[in-house]
Amino acid sequence: MPRIRNTIRELRAVREMTQQQLADRIDLTRQTVIAIEGDKYSPSLETAFRIAQVFGVPLEQVFQYEGKGKR
Amino acid sequence: MPSLSYQERSLYGELLADLAVFVPYFILIHSGHPSISFIAGSITILILAQIILQSIIAIATRNRLKDERDRLIALRGYRSGYFTVVSLMLVGMALLWVHSMHDELNAGHMGLHFLSVFFAVLMLAEVVKTVAQLIAYRRPL
Repeated sequence: MPRIRNTIRELRAVREMTQQQLADRIDLTRQTVIAIEGDKYSPSLETAFRIAQVFGVPLEQVFQYEGKGKR
Repeated sequence: MPSLSYQERSLYGELLADLAVFVPYFILIHSGHPSISFIAGSITILILAQIILQSIIAIATRNRLKDERDRLIALRGYRSGYFTVVSLMLVGMALLWVHSMHDELNAGHMGLHFLSVFFAVLMLAEVVKTVAQLIAYRRPL
């Protein structure tokens, strides 16, 4: 299970952006956006940067690493 | 049930075609001796079934995007398929050795026997690959 948490759902909600709209902007499928939001898939570094770029925030505001033993 | 991506639909189509050909093939091959025309016919039906099903799925799906997660899952599937081929080949070679030790091999049927075994191994590996990919789509990566 990935130990990388994210705030994509919250950032999307603030901007009233749908999962499909986000997926279209970063060339992912909606299913992959759903998997990332549900912490079921950790995206590549490049995709992570592109997501942060879409929201206009630093990477660490979108993704947070939770070390071993914190879950 | 969450919505399925194009890749997942394509995999279900692949699995359906594989099973639709392989299950009758497996039953019929055990009820009699295999013939080259029967194996060739099965391969042809499989190819045609794949083309028809994949075409229908492609037409019915607007977004046919393949992303990094799809590629990662595909790789995992191929890894499972590869291990299946290697494992079954090892079992096959061991059985061949056992049969040869007891002089049970008929040289006339050897080629046909190998053809049917290779087809079965490839089909099983294909099914394992597809199922592994479908499971990966539903589990955390």
